[in-house]
Amino acid sequence: MQTVDIRVTVNGQDYEKTVDCCQTLLRFLREELFLTSVKEGCNEGECGACTVLVDGMPVNSCLVLAAELDGKSVLTAEGLAQDGRLHPLQEAFIEAGAIQCGYCTPGMLMSGIALLNRYPHPTREQIRKEMEGNLCRCTGYARIADAVLLAAEKINARGLYGENSEVLL
Amino acid sequence: MADRYRPCEKFQQEGREWDRLVVRRKDTTGGESVIGHTQIRKDALEKVTGAAQYGADMNLAGQLYGAVAHSPHPHARIKAVRTDKARAVPGVRAVITGADFPEPYGQFIADQPIIALDKVRYQGEPVAAVAADTERAAREAAALVEVDYELLPVVNTIEESMKNETLLHEDWSRYECSSVCFPVQGTNIGDQFHLKKGDVEKGFAEADLVVESSFRCGQLQHTLIETHTATAMANPYTQEIQVWTPNQSPFGIRGLMAKIFGVPAEKVRLTMTHIGGAFGGKYEAKCEPIAIALSLKAGGRPVKLTYDRQEEFAATVCRSTVQYHIKTGVKKDGTITAQQVTGYWDAGAYVTTNPRVDYNAGFAAHGPYKIPNAQVDTYVCMTNRTLGTAYRGFGVTEAATLHEHQMDIVARKLGMDPLALRLHNCLHDGDTGITGEIISTCAVEECLRAAAKNVDWDSIPNRWTDEEGNLCGKGIACFNKLTGTPSTTSCIVKMNENGSIYIWSASREMGQGVTTALPQFAAESLHMDLDKISVTPVDTSMTPYDKTTTSSRSTFHSGNAVLEACADIKRQLCRLAAIHWGCQTGDVAYTGEGFIQDARNPERRIHINDVGRSGILHEQDPVIAIGRYGTSDLFDPPPVDGRQSRRPTVMWMIGAQAAVVKVNPVTGRVKVVKMGAAHDVGKAINPTGCLQQIEGAIVMGLGHALMEEMIYEDGNLRNGNMVDYKVPTFMDSDVETRITLVENGHPEGPFGVKGIGEPGLVPTAAAIAGAVCHACNTDFESLPIKPEHILFRKEVED
Repeated sequence: MQTVDIRVTVNGQDYEKTVDCCQTLLRFLREELFLTSVKEGCNEGECGACTVLVDGMPVNSCLVLAAELDGKSVLTAEGLAQDGRLHPLQEAFIEAGAIQCGYCTPGMLMSGIALLNRYPHPTREQIRKEMEGNLCRCTGYARIADAVLLAAEKINARGLYGENSEVLL
Repeated sequence: MADRYRPCEKFQQEGREWDRLVVRRKDTTGGESVIGHTQIRKDALEKVTGAAQYGADMNLAGQLYGAVAHSPHPHARIKAVRTDKARAVPGVRAVITGADFPEPYGQFIADQPIIALDKVRYQGEPVAAVAADTERAAREAAALVEVDYELLPVVNTIEESMKNETLLHEDWSRYECSSVCFPVQGTNIGDQFHLKKGDVEKGFAEADLVVESSFRCGQLQHTLIETHTATAMANPYTQEIQVWTPNQSPFGIRGLMAKIFGVPAEKVRLTMTHIGGAFGGKYEAKCEPIAIALSLKAGGRPVKLTYDRQEEFAATVCRSTVQYHIKTGVKKDGTITAQQVTGYWDAGAYVTTNPRVDYNAGFAAHGPYKIPNAQVDTYVCMTNRTLGTAYRGFGVTEAATLHEHQMDIVARKLGMDPLALRLHNCLHDGDTGITGEIISTCAVEECLRAAAKNVDWDSIPNRWTDEEGNLCGKGIACFNKLTGTPSTTSCIVKMNENGSIYIWSASREMGQGVTTALPQFAAESLHMDLDKISVTPVDTSMTPYDKTTTSSRSTFHSGNAVLEACADIKRQLCRLAAIHWGCQTGDVAYTGEGFIQDARNPERRIHINDVGRSGILHEQDPVIAIGRYGTSDLFDPPPVDGRQSRRPTVMWMIGAQAAVVKVNPVTGRVKVVKMGAAHDVGKAINPTGCLQQIEGAIVMGLGHALMEEMIYEDGNLRNGNMVDYKVPTFMDSDVETRITLVENGHPEGPFGVKGIGEPGLVPTAAAIAGAVCHACNTDFESLPIKPEHILFRKEVED
């Protein structure tokens, strides 16, 4: 089994790890770092439940190898709340009723944050297109779109957008 | 932390996308402070922070990983299983085959081995399993299991099954069979259902018009985003078995596991993790028995077994195909004189929950209509396909699609408006139902009218062409669904030393919101802050019995149990206060505002929210109460012969949905433009919770109507993955939806509540199919209706 050494930042913490060359980022996050918000749904990039941000870009972590992460920064749902305060999108998911079984929720949050970084004032059509890769069987999606819109309002009202329109990273 | 969040008014406000229609109040004034108001879900915070633990998030020190070798053949005799190569893989700790645990199981008939013994009956059936130090080693070893098969003819379809030339189960009499399953020896029939009211032949003779049609609903996979998984630790010496699993039937699975492994039920402890979607798909035991068997074989080490997506499609459960035929006699004015339904379920290789599907769908097969002469004859047909089971409604969705399709055909032949025909025949309180029951608490008309209003039914024709050339149409559907009866539940309501409350209930949270609704009942009853009340995790060694979390029964049954327990909590607190104050127990009362008050000295009182620091709990008898609810007493068992009964169920659920679609005649693509829904929830305990169920179900039903279908060729599943099996995505969610929550209080429901978990789905596909049929002027006779069906349609001529 071939291995590779990587230095990676995950949720603001630095790690030096030796990883198996064929280990996916999904398995690395779940099994090495115990970040179990990153869910496996299909292992083929179809359901979006394993979405994380790598250097701010949303990826299906089942389609990325951990070995590719050297020098990169990863954000998962565990890293969203800061100093005991939820991210505005997390708050919005709670308040807009966007959660049911909750299995797709972490992936939806990460896709939603990537979307808000791109579109500070998203339309419903933009939300539908950008988040199409995240499947949900419970909600019918409408309240997830509500939550993204509500989060945009919160972020704009609180002046949380930085110069690069980055909410968090 | 949760108390910082308030429901967002913008999205929750009544009058925006939803409204409420109060028909009858039961034990409610509408002025309650907790129930009837949207509450933040109790499970929301752990779900947005990633803290909620689902099945595969469970990890135990020293755990092994399981993997299963599956049959590539849909039907074959097993000549030999060789596991030497698998055992030789480094890190392998246990290998099991069918011979190791030959005890078959099944809720209704014990026809299914946990690992195939002499025969495989579907593609994907387990033939061996492995536990190893790593998942990779386990899967590698599973792939090295060698099986010699002698291929047998494949029974692909209902039609082939009914020929009985190849039998899946040669001898039903070998299996232990419950009293509610009716296989036919020497055939592929695993169960049957017969209902007879009046005389259909007489009814057809009285009719001015007799209409016959057929309808087929395709085979569906639940496509839960969380696949099946279980982690088991089973000690071969003490016989203690512990399983962590996302299952919706903890006590049902406990009983089955005890039987398979020959241990007393109390030795089997199931701890329920969060569930990443269930919808009936996590009602069966799938990974649980295999993980237990592997752990036993590995000397008691914990084993985690998680199915991947392909295994989920091939080796778990699905919704059976059903082929229905229906014959209806009507008078010229639209009055139905008789209706006869015959149906055949393609149940797959083992009987599993099909008898319950067959039973529930049988009682719903005629819909919520007055039908003086009615008959139902349905059969569960075994085929070499994935196992059918419950799917959000136990067959009632398929039954609704049938009877509503027929209503549209009858309306067209009579030249009547589809809504008018339904209103002419629908049940009202005092009418006689399909089992001879005198119907009560039945708001079909209200639901139909509200659903129609929600799509502006009266202002649009059945079909028209828009300015872009799209074919547009409207459709409407209503239904009635029973909840499984009799059933029982219980709960323990326990006051902690600080005055907070735990509810121990086995009604499992799976996204439907029961862990918010049950505390709402307690908060309302006790006038206590909702934040002080929570539901404990479910563990069969501690949590009191509940039948299952299915059949939309939890809020109704467990809500009643919680209310009973809370009444006792009040009595206990009054007694403790009396002792503390040194007065007579009879002098202390629990007031309507939540005060424990000395009647002779009203100044002396404690509010329930302050009871923890009041001192009355200190070194006094702990405050703990039991609540129970069961329906055996009011149930009138429907006899097998004809199924006539004064009370076949404690609760009928009623609702209606209307759809407006546009169909592109060039591409065959259907766009669902508008959905109007109206469901009788009895009393909306958490209105947003009700809306969530209905909204989610509508998009799910859209998938069932237009895209989802498991495609088999000669027993081989051709689209067992998420690329080729299409479920609705965000892009399909652009549907203008209006919902009416009808509140027609149920006499036996807590605050009048009725179930809403399954009902949202039941009329959706039927309404959409009706609208597409209208738009295309075609009788599509099966679901899903795909572009190819639309492009090659044949228009109706009458």
